[in-house]
Order: sequence, then structure tokens, then C-alpha cells
Amino acid sequence: MRKNIAALVSHVALLLALILTIGIIGSIAAANSGKEGANKFTGELERGAVLRILENDTAIKQGYLGELIDAFNAEYASYGIRAVDANMDQYTNLEEDGPFGYGPDVLYQANDRIMRYPDGRHILPLPAETLSGYDQVSEKAWQAYTKTVGGENYVFGVPVNAQGPLLYYRKDLLPANWQTEWDDDGNGVPDMIEYWTDMYRYSKQVKAESGGKKFGYMRSFLEPYFSVGYLYSYGGYTFGNNNTDVSDIGHSAGNAELGGKIIRQLASVMDERCIDDSVTTGAYAAIASGEFFATITTPDVYTMFIDEMIAAGMTRAEAEENLVTVTIPKLPASGDLEDESAGFIDNKMMGGVQGYAISSYTKYPNAALKFVEFATSFEMIKRRNELLGIVPARGDVAEQVGGLSEIINGNLENGNIVVMPSVKESAQVWTPLQTLFQDLAKDAFRTADIKYDTTEKIKAALVEADKQIYDSIFTLKG
Amino acid sequence: MQKTSKSGFFARMKANCLETFAGFKQVVTQAKGRVSASMLIMGLGQLLYKQWIKGALYLLAQIGFILYFVFRGAQDFIGFFTLGVRESNAWYGIEGDNSVIMMLMGILSIIAILFYVALYIANVKDAYNIQCAVDAGKKPATFKKELGSLLNRNFYKTALLLPIIGVCVFNILPIVFMIIIAFTNYGGDIVPPALVDWVGFANFGKILSLGQFASTFFRIFAWNVLWAVTATAINYFAGLGLALLLNKKCVKGKVFWRLFPILAYAVPGFITLIAFKYMFSYGGPINQMITGAGGTAIGFLDVDAKWMARGIGLFVNAWLCVPSSMLLATGVLSNLNVDLYEAARIDGANAFRQFTAITLPYVLFATMPVLISQFIANFNNFGIFYFLRGGLYMNGYFLASDTDLLINWLYNMSIDNNYYSIGAAISIIIFIITSIISLTVYVMSPSYKQEETYQ
Repeated sequence: MRKNIAALVSHVALLLALILTIGIIGSIAAANSGKEGANKFTGELERGAVLRILENDTAIKQGYLGELIDAFNAEYASYGIRAVDANMDQYTNLEEDGPFGYGPDVLYQANDRIMRYPDGRHILPLPAETLSGYDQVSEKAWQAYTKTVGGENYVFGVPVNAQGPLLYYRKDLLPANWQTEWDDDGNGVPDMIEYWTDMYRYSKQVKAESGGKKFGYMRSFLEPYFSVGYLYSYGGYTFGNNNTDVSDIGHSAGNAELGGKIIRQLASVMDERCIDDSVTTGAYAAIASGEFFATITTPDVYTMFIDEMIAAGMTRAEAEENLVTVTIPKLPASGDLEDESAGFIDNKMMGGVQGYAISSYTKYPNAALKFVEFATSFEMIKRRNELLGIVPARGDVAEQVGGLSEIINGNLENGNIVVMPSVKESAQVWTPLQTLFQDLAKDAFRTADIKYDTTEKIKAALVEADKQIYDSIFTLKG
Repeated sequence: MQKTSKSGFFARMKANCLETFAGFKQVVTQAKGRVSASMLIMGLGQLLYKQWIKGALYLLAQIGFILYFVFRGAQDFIGFFTLGVRESNAWYGIEGDNSVIMMLMGILSIIAILFYVALYIANVKDAYNIQCAVDAGKKPATFKKELGSLLNRNFYKTALLLPIIGVCVFNILPIVFMIIIAFTNYGGDIVPPALVDWVGFANFGKILSLGQFASTFFRIFAWNVLWAVTATAINYFAGLGLALLLNKKCVKGKVFWRLFPILAYAVPGFITLIAFKYMFSYGGPINQMITGAGGTAIGFLDVDAKWMARGIGLFVNAWLCVPSSMLLATGVLSNLNVDLYEAARIDGANAFRQFTAITLPYVLFATMPVLISQFIANFNNFGIFYFLRGGLYMNGYFLASDTDLLINWLYNMSIDNNYYSIGAAISIIIFIITSIISLTVYVMSPSYKQEETYQ
């Protein structure tokens, strides 16, 4: 029996010794393995490189990516460098795919997405100042791609496209007497598209005259992207220190409650559809049919309105003549849409900057940098604007194309477009804000149990939303 | 009866353990040299008994196991405990440790060890069986004969081998992975390339100790239980009612009427949910009709709609689930002996009495396991409120709304807010709760207590 137990024990001991010795030695060896690389941008192009380019769906559908790739491949044919469509979902998460070699080499995404990657060092810091178009892009746009990692400030993306909301309205639906009745300052611009107070008054009139069948201004408040700007305009902010200090959440800061009051007042001249998102996709058809006079959305959906207006019976020329896009009206400094006595302030809105970044997992960083430089050149950005109607972040292109591009770049420059926070904690901001804006909009339709009839109550709701965001970020951390 | 069943179960377990121990003791005390050789090196005893192929296979298995551990397994096994010691840094090409992959590979190495232990025991038992056969003057079974038995007497082993491997890889591995995540700090800022650490029961401690967390948990839990019980009862009895109705002889065009619920069942659930969300939205057809008739739009699913939204959730869930309950009940009712009703009528029982005394006990008996699975499915019904009323965090709730179930809360926390480890801890709690409720209900049900009533 002893012999048998000894045999059993010997077998187990032998295996255990093997497992532990090899395991520990292997772990130590693995810990000491790995290559310490230096700066990846040596300037020496990797011959024969095949770059996988991730672009957004619209650029692929409209044929822009094809043109870009063809032009780049022709330019760098002598180096044997080729760019190809990465053929991946436009929202591909580099954090998940990159480390395993599945991600793209170059990616085009919005700043809030791209800037989730630097913490894990999934994208490379770029020598931005060496790029030919560096001086043409505004500092605000570069800021959206700048982040401190390990105590050093780096630029992680090259801005391509500035994004911000605009007011769309139907010129042919303006009242016939607008020049005499709705142009108090006599500047030839209808007051309702210059000032929210007039838009509010006009919307009230349209709704009353149509028996609630037509509306002046209409927009769902559900999406924080379009609603948080009212809070920003009166001193609110998302994160402190230029949207970088996530411990300082300030939607209730300053007089932000006045922005909440504006939301509540605007909701009262719409109908209940402004509470949920059922009006969002129907807005194109509603503008085309004349049910809505005006709405706010981003510039990239301009063609959707035109298509609907053509479907509603207009010619393209008529549609393009009748649909006008302008910058967002000014807000009353008093925070009351029925009180103009204190003058007006600019309406700040949330915006974004889309751009290119380079994956840290690329085998061809120098070729990838060349691609980014090529794709952000004057010619390619101008072509992008022609094909996709984007607002170029490059000042020289924006100046040449004028119109919306100039307006949005101007708004970005003067701070009326507040760029979405470039920190991963921004993902925890949306749902509490969405709930808050629904609640504020709903309040305009409550007949009993009205919750926000004073600015103090609105302030309390904003403070609560900030607390909720803070809790969601910090309660379970660490 | 119940007590007998439970004590019988434990007695059987005890007897099995004693038997196994006795068998082990017998092998250790009575094994001779060649069996000892198999104890030291797998397959050696068989080889000494001239069982060449079997011995070689056992030996190869041991060599394979050692090679696996030399080249991979040992590192994975140790890595499971350390979860990595070096962070990767893609900027400098430093290939560090990925704690999540290490966790997975560590589990695989543990499964490999367990597999090896099972193989080792089989090897010793086999050598001992050969010794017994030789001692009894018999000729040990040849390899060919033993192989043949895998297609005959031991066919169940052959048939179960692939499913068991499949279950280990596709079921056990992810479940174990999810369970052990609950004991780490994975989530928030700690996602690869950052290294994950073991934190013991700290996540469970947080759930119970953090004020807002605990209060949200109990509020959601209370609603979750109410939801699961109500939804299961509505679906079950509405399905049974429909089946009984359509079983009536007086109903004309039964096939036609049965078609409608089946059509509702055939449409993918999430499409139905999106359609219902639109129907009940402010811009949807229901509100259009209300406002068209001069009424005021109703916020069926908005921020104020707590109980209305819960009611709509129950209704939509019934829309999705009643058809399957109806089909199930229709099948079960077709096996019910109609003579019982005849006898009941003669005894003077009215229709309700016949239902409570004959139909319901029979249907409950036959469908209790399904009913329990429906209860669990409803308890963990993620889709209903995610699609109908997602994207709301209410005051008084931590990262949840007043219609969210625990599974929705788990999603909010682990996917929307990246708290994977806390999400895993909640899912373990959900598992424990549903298991206790299901097992208790099942053990108390006629399906378990009176197993042979209808057999």
C-alpha cells in the first residue's frame, strides 16, 4: 500500500513541480520579452505596404473613398504602397480589434470616438506640426484631438470635418408680410430666424392659426447633442477645464437653468412629439410638406430635405431655393422667450470634429502618415466637400467654398460650437441628459403635477442630473 | 413525500461518495506492482500486461499533457492567478499581458488538468481491472474488444464524448469566465491593456454596502419578481384560455383563428417590439387617433409613465409569448382523456369545477418544467423594456429606470458604463435567485411530487 501511495504521490509531485517550475519561468520570461520600439515616424516609407482604410459609410457609398484610394495609389505606386478599403463597420472599436491585428491602419471617426483610444495607447501620437495642412486647421479643431498621456501633450488625429447644428427653414413659408411685420431691425433678415424670441412668437402664432396642425419650429429634445447647447449658452458645461476634467460636471453651472427654461418654453409651441424621438426621422417629410416651418439638424442631411421636397412636388431648383440653412438664432439674455429687454446672447451648440487617426498596431506607420497627409490635402478635402457636402476643417478650403462651411467654422472658432468631450467618460453623459431633457419638455404639457414652473426647480433637476453623471463615472471606480 | 425525495437524494449522494472512496481504497490497498507502475507513469502497467495499444495511448496522453504544459499550459495556469505582470504599450511595441485572455486560457488549462485527472483515474482503474482479471485466471479484454464495446455496451460514452467537449468549450468556459469576472476589478478604467486584478468578494460588498446601489437593487428586484410572476401567469393562462376556446366544438374555422397568434409568434421579437414602441410613441398611430378625435396625446412610455409603461410591457410580452403557450396547451390538451369530463359531468361538476379539478392539474403537471423555464425567461426578459423604454435613468435609481429589470440594469452597468465585474456579480445574484425560485417551485410541483400520477 505504501508503495502505491508513493507512486501516486510521486506522479502528482512530478507534475506539480513541472507545472510550477515551467509556469513561473515562462511567466518571468514573458514578462521580460517584448520589443522596446522608438519613434515610429522615421519618415522612411515602408515599401509594399498595404494600408487598410476605415471610412464612414457615406464616403464609401458616394464613391469618395474609391476616388481617394485611387488617387493615393497612383501617387505612391512607385513605392509599391497601396491603400484599400478596410471593409469594416464604420464604428469599429479599435480597442477590441486592434490588439489582435484585425483593426484598420488608418481610421476616420468623430473626435469623441477616436479620443477613447489614447488611454490604452491604441492610436499613435502624430507629428501634426510636420503635416503640410497644419496651419490651415483652427486651434479649436486641433484641441479636439489633443490629450495628455503620461504627462505629455499629444495630438492623436487630423481634423477633416467640422460638425455643428444649423437652422433649416422654408423661405417660401415665411409670412407674406414678414418684411413689414417680422423685420424690426430692418436688416432684410426675418426676425424669427435671427432671434429665438421671434421664432417662439411666430411658432405660437402658426400653431394657434392651424389649430395645432402646423408648427413654426419643431425638433425633438431627446438628443442631448441638440439640446445641451441651451444649457451651455447660459454658463453650463459638460466637463470642466475645456471638457477634460471629468470630476467637474457643470450642466447646472452658471445660469444654465435659464437654458432649461428655454427648452420648456420652446416645447410649449410644439406638440408632444418633441418629447420622444418619433419626430426625428419624420422631420424631412414634415419640412417638405410645410407641416414644420423650421428645424435644427446637422449639415450632412441637407440632401434628405431636398429629396423629400422633390418628392413633395417641387423641382430641384425650387427645393434648393426654398430650403435655407442659417446659423442658430440668438437667445434672450433674460432666459425668457417672452422678454427681450436684456438683449441677446449667442446660442452655443454641441458639435464635433471628424478626422483621421493612425492605429498603433499598424505595421506601416510612415505610409499611414503619408496617407493621412494626402487625404487631408487641399485638393482631397475640397473634393470631399463637393461629393459629401462636409464642412471642411481646413480654413483655406472653407474660405473658398464659403456658405455653410464658413458659418460652421466661424462658430467653431468663436466658441459657439462646443466640441463634444474627447474623453471616454462622455459615454456616461448621454442617458442622464436624455432623461432630463425629456422631463423638461414633458413639463410643458403637464396639466397637473407640474415639476418645473420655477427656475429654482429646473436648477435642482440640473444638479441632480450632474450628480447622476458623477455617480455613474465615479461610484464604482477603483 | 417531498422530505422523502430530498432525503433520498442526499442518501444516494452519500452512498455514491462512500462507494467511490471504498473503490479508491480497494485499488490503493490491493494494487500490485504493475498497477503501481501505472500509478507512476500512465499506461506503464498496461504495457507490462502486454496491452500494447492501450498502454501506448495512455502513455501518449501523458506525454501530450506534459508537452502541452511545457509549451503553454503551465504558463496559462500560473497566469490565471497573476492575471499578468506587464502592461502592453502599443506605442513602443511592448507586447504585455492581456489579463482577459489570460483568464480564459487559465480556465482552459484548469479544464485540461481536470481532464487529465479523469484520464489518470481511468488509467489506474483500468490497470487494476486487468490485474483482477489476471488474478481470477481470465484473459484481459483485448483492445479490439474494448474498442468494440464503445459501439455497443459503452456506446453512451462514444455518443456523449463530442457533446461533452462542446458543452465544456461553448457553455462551461463562458459561464465560468463570467462567474470569475465577478471576483476581479475588470471594467471602468481597468480594461486591457491595463492589468486586471483579483478582488475577492469586493464587488458583492459594493452591491450590498453602497447606499444608492443597494436601494436600486432591491427596488428593481421587487419589480422584477412582480413582473416575472405576473407576466408568466398572464402568458400561461391566456395561452391556456385560447387553447381551450379553440378546442371547443362550437368554434368554427379553428385553423383560421389559430393562424393569427402564430403569425404574431412568427414575426421576430425585436421587430414586434420596435413596432410597438412606435405605436405607443407620441407620433405613433395610437396618439394620432387620440389627437385626431380631439383628445390629448398620452405619454404611454415617457418619463412619467411608470405603471402605464409596465402595463404596456406586460401586454406586449403577452403578445409575443401567448401564442407559444397556446400551442403548448393545445398539444397537452389533445392527450387529456375526455372520459374524465364525462364522469365529472355525471357527478354534477360544472364547467369551472371541471377546469379546476381536471384540466388545470393535468396541464400544470405536464407543463410545469416549461412554466418554470418561462418564469426564468420572463425574469431575465431583456428585450421588452430595452426596446420599449430604453435610455432613461430615473431619480432614485442608480443607472436604471423604473421599468428596468435586473437584466437591463446589468446591461446598463456592464455595456453602457463598462462596469463588467459589477455586472458579472449581479448576474451571479440573478442566477442564484432564479435557481432558488425555480428549484423550490419545481420540487413543490406535482410534476416532481407525483411523478407517476399520469404515467
